[in-house]
Amino acid sequence: MQVIEYTTLLVFAVPLVILLINILLPRQLAEKSSIGLAYLAPLVQIVATAAGLVQIAQLKQHEFAISWNLAGAVSVRFAVNVFSLVLLFCIGMVTLAAIMVANRTVPQKRAGFAGLLMMLIVGMNGMVLVTDLFSLYVFLEIVGISSFVLIAMFKSDTGLEGAFKYLVMSVLASIMILTGLAFVFMQTGSLQYDQVGAAGGALVGPGAPHLALMYTAMALMIAGFAIKTGAVPFHSWLPDAHQSANTAVSVLLSGIVIKIAGIYGFIVITNFFGRLPGIDLTLALIGTVSIVVGALFALRQSHFKRIVAYSSVSQMGYILLGLSTGSVLGLLGAVAHVFNHATFKSTLFTNAAAVHEQTGTYDINELGGLEKKMPVTSFSSLAAFMSTAGIPPFAGFWSKLLIIMALWNSGDWVFAAIALIASIFTAAYFLRLQRKVFFGKLLDKFAQLTEIGGSVKWAQIMLTVVTIAAGLLFPFALRYFGGIGIL
Amino acid sequence: METVILIVGFLLIVAGCYCLIRTYHLLKVIIGVEVAMKAVTMFVILAGFINGKAPLAQAFVITVIVIEVVVAVVAVGLALNLYRLYGNMDIRNLRKLKG
Amino acid sequence: MEAVIYICLGLMLIFGILAVMLRSLLKSAIALAGASAMLAIIMYLLGSVWAGIFELSVCAGLITVVFISAISLSNTDKEDLPRLYEDAKRMAALPAVLIICGVILILIVAKTSFMLPAAVPAVEMADTFREIFWNQRQVDIWGQVIVVLTGALTVVALFKERE
Repeated sequence: MQVIEYTTLLVFAVPLVILLINILLPRQLAEKSSIGLAYLAPLVQIVATAAGLVQIAQLKQHEFAISWNLAGAVSVRFAVNVFSLVLLFCIGMVTLAAIMVANRTVPQKRAGFAGLLMMLIVGMNGMVLVTDLFSLYVFLEIVGISSFVLIAMFKSDTGLEGAFKYLVMSVLASIMILTGLAFVFMQTGSLQYDQVGAAGGALVGPGAPHLALMYTAMALMIAGFAIKTGAVPFHSWLPDAHQSANTAVSVLLSGIVIKIAGIYGFIVITNFFGRLPGIDLTLALIGTVSIVVGALFALRQSHFKRIVAYSSVSQMGYILLGLSTGSVLGLLGAVAHVFNHATFKSTLFTNAAAVHEQTGTYDINELGGLEKKMPVTSFSSLAAFMSTAGIPPFAGFWSKLLIIMALWNSGDWVFAAIALIASIFTAAYFLRLQRKVFFGKLLDKFAQLTEIGGSVKWAQIMLTVVTIAAGLLFPFALRYFGGIGIL
Repeated sequence: METVILIVGFLLIVAGCYCLIRTYHLLKVIIGVEVAMKAVTMFVILAGFINGKAPLAQAFVITVIVIEVVVAVVAVGLALNLYRLYGNMDIRNLRKLKG
Repeated sequence: MEAVIYICLGLMLIFGILAVMLRSLLKSAIALAGASAMLAIIMYLLGSVWAGIFELSVCAGLITVVFISAISLSNTDKEDLPRLYEDAKRMAALPAVLIICGVILILIVAKTSFMLPAAVPAVEMADTFREIFWNQRQVDIWGQVIVVLTGALTVVALFKERE
């Protein structure tokens, strides 16, 4: 087996091994050490995907299989290419930040939290690596089930409510996606990527025999994945779930789960069926409405985490706009924005955790002038805000530029204009957040405040460094990808 | 015949979603979900019947049923925890998060 | 054979409507089990034997037990559903909604001459169900193992009282 096969198998094996150790340890030891043990999974994943990225330069795309010991044909098939490695790297990075936050914000039930986190990681890695539409669905469900329980397991009243709403919406999404898959299965006879890809041209071209069935299937699958992404008009669960979960879980949800569960699903289905007329326009409309509605709602909120959650809705709209162009440039912009959003959204939720840990509140009307006492938090929040708003030289500028360029190239200049103007809204709601929480006069009750210490501070520093470095190194990364022939 | 199965399936999904949206009782929501899932498994089996690959469809359906059971257990767990918190199974209790 | 399928389809629809509209949660759960049984018969008649068996034992059996234990753990009485939750009033519109949707669907099918792909006779496959399930769909089997493990972790996380 080649190196890249080992690295991919590691991202599956390590979380499962950690889970096993977690279960087998006696109770007291598990509670104390489970979070520390859980650090291994994302660290191994980051190293493994970096090694994979180095090797993929020669391979472009690698597909391999492992067989059980039954004599027979190829059984378990995985495929990796550059985009899946980038997504795996994002998963590792956000999970690392989430565990660093969880070290402070999860006082009890640490063993249970770590176990469910390992299952979530396995689910997300599985989604990115499999080559079959139905297996994609199975791992999507794994991600869903782990996230419901992660939100609800601390049994606060808002937590249970957010988890229940998320569950109902998620089950609706699963029903729609599965019905869409059944309709595709009716026509192609198999749900593996290579066979669906081969048959896909005949299904969506002008002379397709069952166009009505295909349209129904695509409408259902787009609606299902839009629920999972939190795009408007299916976004109603997102602010509630992200606000009421423990902040470590919010980092995970907003930072990576809505993207792997939702956006990656969109990438897969537009890859196969994207040439169906009307699909691009639908995605672009959903994207634009998400950008505007998310930004407008964010302006009205006064709960720190709720503002950040609505911002997620808005940024998912940008990624959907990038996908709607159907071009490689758009896909590159979308994946780059996935990476950038993972960094700056995790930074913002980590800041929320830091502020809550030190001041005890999330209400921005009760906060003010914190930058004098919490400089690290304030600076990382500023960096995240500038990256979100697309200000150079932060990383968000590059991904937004790519998306707007892709829209311009494919002639959708109306959407490009709306995306550009909506950046003003993005700047507006984040400026309001920054001003109310960090700038201004320090309130008297915060005179004794200190900066957050420990793992949360290191998480903020790490994420800010990644944002700034990604922004500075982006042109070189683009040149590297051009060199290996993606662009 | 297949079209009739398709229509009955869609009617079942409508019935399940109607139950899910209109009810006030937490467990009735889960019953609505289950009714809709029956229709979805029926669609998968119908797809297998149509394209001749019945064994593949059965493998899909078995996996979907396992997932459905686990999701039902998680939902019941959430409902029972809400019962422990509020003393009744009313969905109108879940109004704390707004805006 | 087609007549039996039609009868079972009709019964399944009736059981589904009953599951939604019945006043007592217990009877709703049993109606759901009845719908599962009808679905199992339909699956058998459409050639999917193993799926029918699995559906019968798991859905008509296991899920009903889960529901009944949930109902008894939450002390939901027979009177509560219509009284406290105004259930009969909320669900009363269901038959009307279904009839309207049915009429719309039949009109769409008739007007646009919508056609499903023609049923291909079962391909004489070299692979039997056993081969496909255990060899070709191994990813799904690993997925199922992980789902069940997650379910077990869930039960521990949600139901434990003593810390």
